[in-house]
Amino acid sequence: MKVITDVVCPFCGSLCDDLTVKVEDNVITDIQRACILGHNKIAGVCLHERIESPMIRKDGELVEVTYEEAIEKAADILANSKRTLSYGWASTSCEAVSKAIQLAEETGSLIDSTANVCHGPTVLAVHEKGSPAASLGQVKNRADLVVFWGCNPVHAHPRHMSRYSTYARGFFTKKGRKARNIAVVDVRETDTSKLADKYVQVDPGCDYMLLNAIRSVINENEDVIPAQVAGIPKEEIIELATMLKEARFSCIFYGMGTTQSRSKYKNGDAVSSLLYDLNQYSKSVMIPMRGHYNVTGFGQVANWETGYPNAIDFNRRLAYYNPGETGASDVLLRGEVDSAIIAAADPGAHFAQEAVRCLAKVPMIQIDPYHNATTELADVVIPAAVVGVETEGTAYRMDSIPLRMKKLIDTTFKSDEEIVTDLIEKVREIKGGA
Amino acid sequence: MSELIIKNAAVCDPINGINCEKMDLAVKDGKIVENVSSGADVIDAGGRLTMAGAIDGHTHCAGKINLGRLMSPHDMRMNPVPGLSGLQEPTPYTRAQSGYNTPNTFALGYRYSKLGYTTLSEAAISMLSARHTHEEFESIPILDKWGLTLFGNNWHVMNYVRDEQPEKLAAYIAWGLKASRGFGVKVVNPGGGEAWGWGKNVTSLDDVVADFDVTPRQILMGLAEANEALRLPHSIHVHCNNLGKPGNYETTLETMKLMEGVKTTRDRQALHLAHLQFHSYGGNSWREFESATPQITDYINGADHLTFDMGQVIFGPAMTMTADGPLEYSNARMLHAKWSNKDVELEDGAGVVPIEYSPKSFVNAVQWAIGLELALMVEDPWKVMFTTDSPNGGSFVNYPEAFALLMSAKKRQQIIESLPNLAVDRMVLPGIDRELDFYELAVMTRGIQSKMFSMNNIGHLGVGADADIAVYDIIPDQIDPGTEHEKLKKAFSATSCTIKSGNVVVRDGEIVATPAGRTYWVNASGCVSNDVNEAAMKDIKNNFRRYYTVGIANYMVEDEYLPHPVEITTEVN
Amino acid sequence: MQTVTLTLREKNRIPIEADTISPDNFAGLSERDIEQIPLCLGNTQVFLGDIFEVVADGSDSAENVRIEINGDLSRIKRIGQRMSAGEIVINGNVDMHCGCSMTGGKITINGHADNWVGCEMKGGEITVNGNAKYYVGSGYRGESNGMSGGRIVVNGDVLDYLGEHMCGGEIVVTGNAGLLPGLSNNGGTIVIGGNTTMAAGEMKKGMIVIKGNLEEMLPIYREDGTEEFEGQTYRKFTGDVNVKGKGTLLVK
Repeated sequence: MKVITDVVCPFCGSLCDDLTVKVEDNVITDIQRACILGHNKIAGVCLHERIESPMIRKDGELVEVTYEEAIEKAADILANSKRTLSYGWASTSCEAVSKAIQLAEETGSLIDSTANVCHGPTVLAVHEKGSPAASLGQVKNRADLVVFWGCNPVHAHPRHMSRYSTYARGFFTKKGRKARNIAVVDVRETDTSKLADKYVQVDPGCDYMLLNAIRSVINENEDVIPAQVAGIPKEEIIELATMLKEARFSCIFYGMGTTQSRSKYKNGDAVSSLLYDLNQYSKSVMIPMRGHYNVTGFGQVANWETGYPNAIDFNRRLAYYNPGETGASDVLLRGEVDSAIIAAADPGAHFAQEAVRCLAKVPMIQIDPYHNATTELADVVIPAAVVGVETEGTAYRMDSIPLRMKKLIDTTFKSDEEIVTDLIEKVREIKGGA
Repeated sequence: MSELIIKNAAVCDPINGINCEKMDLAVKDGKIVENVSSGADVIDAGGRLTMAGAIDGHTHCAGKINLGRLMSPHDMRMNPVPGLSGLQEPTPYTRAQSGYNTPNTFALGYRYSKLGYTTLSEAAISMLSARHTHEEFESIPILDKWGLTLFGNNWHVMNYVRDEQPEKLAAYIAWGLKASRGFGVKVVNPGGGEAWGWGKNVTSLDDVVADFDVTPRQILMGLAEANEALRLPHSIHVHCNNLGKPGNYETTLETMKLMEGVKTTRDRQALHLAHLQFHSYGGNSWREFESATPQITDYINGADHLTFDMGQVIFGPAMTMTADGPLEYSNARMLHAKWSNKDVELEDGAGVVPIEYSPKSFVNAVQWAIGLELALMVEDPWKVMFTTDSPNGGSFVNYPEAFALLMSAKKRQQIIESLPNLAVDRMVLPGIDRELDFYELAVMTRGIQSKMFSMNNIGHLGVGADADIAVYDIIPDQIDPGTEHEKLKKAFSATSCTIKSGNVVVRDGEIVATPAGRTYWVNASGCVSNDVNEAAMKDIKNNFRRYYTVGIANYMVEDEYLPHPVEITTEVN
Repeated sequence: MQTVTLTLREKNRIPIEADTISPDNFAGLSERDIEQIPLCLGNTQVFLGDIFEVVADGSDSAENVRIEINGDLSRIKRIGQRMSAGEIVINGNVDMHCGCSMTGGKITINGHADNWVGCEMKGGEITVNGNAKYYVGSGYRGESNGMSGGRIVVNGDVLDYLGEHMCGGEIVVTGNAGLLPGLSNNGGTIVIGGNTTMAAGEMKKGMIVIKGNLEEMLPIYREDGTEEFEGQTYRKFTGDVNVKGKGTLLVK
C-alpha cells in the first residue's frame, strides 16, 4: 500500500493541498480530508464510466478505433478547417493548456476556456479597473470581515470557509469565526447566508445599483441615495458600507451570482471601484470564487503566451482578442465555426440550445476522460488521463497561486498534454505534405 | 563539436580591458576559446562593434508582468517602436508576438535578443508564486534568466531580526532561495509591505513595523549581514523606502550610509540600489519637486561599497509593477488609474498600475532628466547599471533611445528644449556635456553585471566565457555618436548578429533560431550548519502549519519547473 | 467622382474581415484592381471579387469616392474601418466594427448594425437606419478612450454599453438603449430618444439626455435644478459624484 500525502485536489478553485490518499494495487482505497465533491472526483476515476477507447463516428455511430487513427482523423479535421473553435481546457494542467494554445496558433483557430460561461466577466472587469486582490492566506490571517457576494461556498467550495475564510484561524485571527464578521449578499437565502452575521438580499440583477450605493456611502455622498436601492432600505446599505469602512481587513469573495447576473462584468468592475475608494479608509481586497480547479491557470498561461487571457482568435495569424466576438458562446450562437475541438469541458450540457446546435452540425473532436453530453455530438473522441490523479501538472488556485498536481495512480490513458502534442505533429505533417 | 569564428570584430570588452580593438573571436561548444579548427563556421563582422551579450540586471519579465498583461489588453496592439512592439505574425522560427510594455513571453525573448541581450535578472520573485515565475522563465525563448527573491517584509525575516538570531535568519534565506529557486535577496520597501497588510506604510528607516517590532533599518542590516554570511554572489538588492516621493533622497542617502558598515564576503558591492531615479527626488511637495541628483551623486562618488541602476524614464505609456503595494495604491489614486494589488501571506505584496510619462508634465520631465543625470554625474561607470526598470520607467525596447541619450549631448539638448521651463529649472541635466563612449556603455550593460552578480562566465568575451555575443552594425571609428545618434539608435535596435551560447539566434535583425535558455539559482545551504538549519526548519514548519494556506511540501519549487537549471553553490571548499 | 457598387454574391456563414473596404483604399482603383483586394475569410484569404460583384465607375481621390454595398452583410466585419473621407452606403444589415476608428467621411447603413459600430471613432458620421447592438461608439478592451469625435445616429434601438468610455463626439439614438449607456463618459454627448436604465455611471464630463423613461437611476447623481434641451425642460443631475464628475444627466 502506498500513502500519498499533501495531495492537491483537482476539483474546484480552492485547490486544497492537504489530502492524503491511499493506493493499493493501483486502486485508490482511501481519501482523507477531501470534501464530498473532491472525494467523488478522485474516487470517480476508478468508479465512473470512462471512455475506454478512442472512437470515430461512422455512419452516425461512434466506433472504436486505434489511438493513431483518432489522432489522424482529428488532425485532418483541424488542418482543413477555416474557423475552428478550441474550447474548454479549464480542468486540465497548464502544460496541456500551453500545447493547446500552440495548436490553435498553428491551425489559425480560436481558443477559449470555460471562463466564457463563468468568470470571463471577472477578466473583463480587470481590464477596466485592475484587480485589487490578495492571496487567500491574507484573508485567513487578517480578515475581520468576509463578504460573500453572489456565491455559496457551503455547496460550491465546501472547504473554503474552514481553510481560508469564515472559520480559518490565523496570526491576527486566532479566534477564527469569532474574530470576524461574515456578510452575505445574494438574491436568495442560501446555506452560506444562514451562517452570516449580516445578510443583505439584493433584487435580482441589481448588484450594480447596490455597489454604486455603497460607494456613495463610502465617499460621503449619502444624500444622493434614495430611500431604497436594489430592494434594500438605505439604512441597511449604510450599515453594510459602515461594516466595510470600519473593518481592519475585509475581503469580498464574489461568485457567478455577481458575474453572470444582469450587469455581468460591470459588477466586478464596480466592486473594484468600491475597493479603490474604500482602501483610503480600511484595507479591502477582492477574490473571485473560481469554479473549475484550473480555470485560473488557463488565463495565466494564455496571458503570458499570447498576451490575452481567453477568447483568442488566431484566424488572421496574429493574436486577436475581443470577448463578445471571439468568445466560445459568441461564435457558436452565430453558428460561424466550421469545426471544434473540446477538451475537459461539456458544452453539450452547459451551452444554450442554439450554440449546441452549431456544435452538432460541424465536425467535432472531444478529448475527455468521461462520457458526457458533448460525446453524443462528437465525431472523434479521444480518451484522456485525469489530471491530478493519473497524471501530474500545474494548476492555479483562485487567488493565482500555482500548485503542482500529483500523479496518484498509473494509467494507460495518454495525458491531454501528450494528446495535443501528437495532434500538433500530425497537423504539421498534413500541412507540410499539402 | 560546433565551432565558430567571428572575424574582424571591433571588440569592446571592458572586463578584459579591451576597447574596440579589431580581433577574431573563436567559439567552441558554446564557449569562447583561444582558437578553433579550420573547419569552423565563419562570420565576418567586417569591423563592426562587438560586445558580450548584454545583461538586464533589473527587469520585470516574469510573474507580476502577467497581471500587467491582464490589465492591458490594449497594450498588445500598441506599436510605438515598429519591429520591437505590437502584434507580429509567427514565422517559421517564431511564435506570434504581442504587446509593448507587457509583451508575451515569446516576444520578450525575441526582442531582447534583437537588442543584443542574452541574460535577464527578474527583479522580484514572490516565493509563494515562484512556480509561476519559473513557468514564464521557461516560456521566454533564447535568454538565460534568474530571479531575486523577495525577503524585505517576510515574517520569518522580521521575527529573526527582532529576536537577534542572525544565524537562523541566514538559514531561512538559504531555505527560501532553494524553495523559490532564487538567485539573490531582494528587499522592497522594507517593513512597508507588512504595514500595507493593514493598508498602511512606513515613511522612514526608523518607523516601527506594527506587530513585529522591527524597523526598516534593522531589516536592511539583518538581511545584508545574512547575505554576506551566505556568501551570495549578489549583494542585497534594495528598493528603498519612500519610492517616488518628493524629498525621498534623504531616505536614500541614509540607506546608503547604513550599508557602509557591512563587511562583504565576496569581491563585489555590499549594496545595490534599484532604480535610483525614483529615489533621488528633492523638494518637500510635488510643487517643490526637483532633482536631487547632486546630493545623491556627491555621496556615491565618494563611496565604494555600492552600485545602482538608473531606472531611466522613457516618455510615453509605461506599466508600473512592484512589490511595493502601498506605493502602487498611492500611484493609482494620484493618477486616477487602474489598480491591481496582490498581497502575499507572510511574505510581501505587489501592485501594478499603468502610467503615462508626458514630456509636458513637469514632474515627468524632471524624472526623465534624473535617470540620465545619475548615469552621467557618477564618475565611475563601474557603479552604474543601465536600466529603465522595464517596464516601470518604460519598456526595454526603448533601450536604444536611452543609449543614444547617454552618448549624445546634442540629442539630450534637443529634447530639453522641448520641455517646460519649470522642469528645466528643476534639473541639472542641461549643464552636463559628458557623452559616454562605447566602452562605458559596455560597462553599464555588460561589465558591471558580470561583477555585481559575481557571474564571471558572462558579460565579457574572455576565453572560457559563455559565447553570448552581440554584433552591432556600427564601425566604431567611423561614427560620431554625438551627432549621428539616430544611426546609433537604429544600430542598437537590431543587431547584425546575436549569438547565444554559441548559437546564432539573430541575423540582420531577424530571429533565426530559438534555443531554450537556462535558469540560474543559488544554493547557499552549504553555508548553513545542520544544527541551525534544523532549528530554523522547526520555526518554518510551525509557520506553515499555523499561518500559510499551502503545505510546506507543496511550497518548494520542483525540478520540473527548471528543465534547464544551473545551480550555483556558495560554500568555500 | 468615383462610384463603386459591390453586390454580395452569396451570404457567408464564416465571417469575412473587410477592413480593406473603404474609400481610402478604393480611391483611384479600377474595377479589376478592386476585385483583387484581399479579404480574410476565417484563416484563409479571399479576393473581393470572389465575394462581391464589383461595378466601378470613374476614378477619384478618397473624398470623392462613394461605395454602395448591397446584400445581407451580417457576416462582413470592419467595413469602413479607419476611413478618412468619402462615403459608404450599405443596403442591408452589416456585421461588427463597421466604421470603427474612422476619422472622416460618412457611412449610411440601411439595415441593422452589429456590435462596435463606430468604435473608437475620431471623426465623420455614421447613420444606422435600423437597430444597432452592443458597444456603439465605445472603446476596445482595456482602452480608456472610446469615440472621441464625429457623430453616430441610430434610427432604432441599441443594446447595452452605448458610448462606453466616450470622450468626445455625439451619439443620437431615437429608440431605446440597453443597460448602462454612457459609462465612464469623459466629454461626449449622448441623446437617447426612448427608454434605458442605469445611465451614466462614472461620468466625468459630458452630457447624457434621456427623453424617454430612465427605469433605474444610479444612486450617484445629485439633482441640480432643471435645464432646457431642444425646447423641453428636463430635471438636471450632476455626477458621478463618486468620481467627482461634472457630467450632466438630463432626465424627464
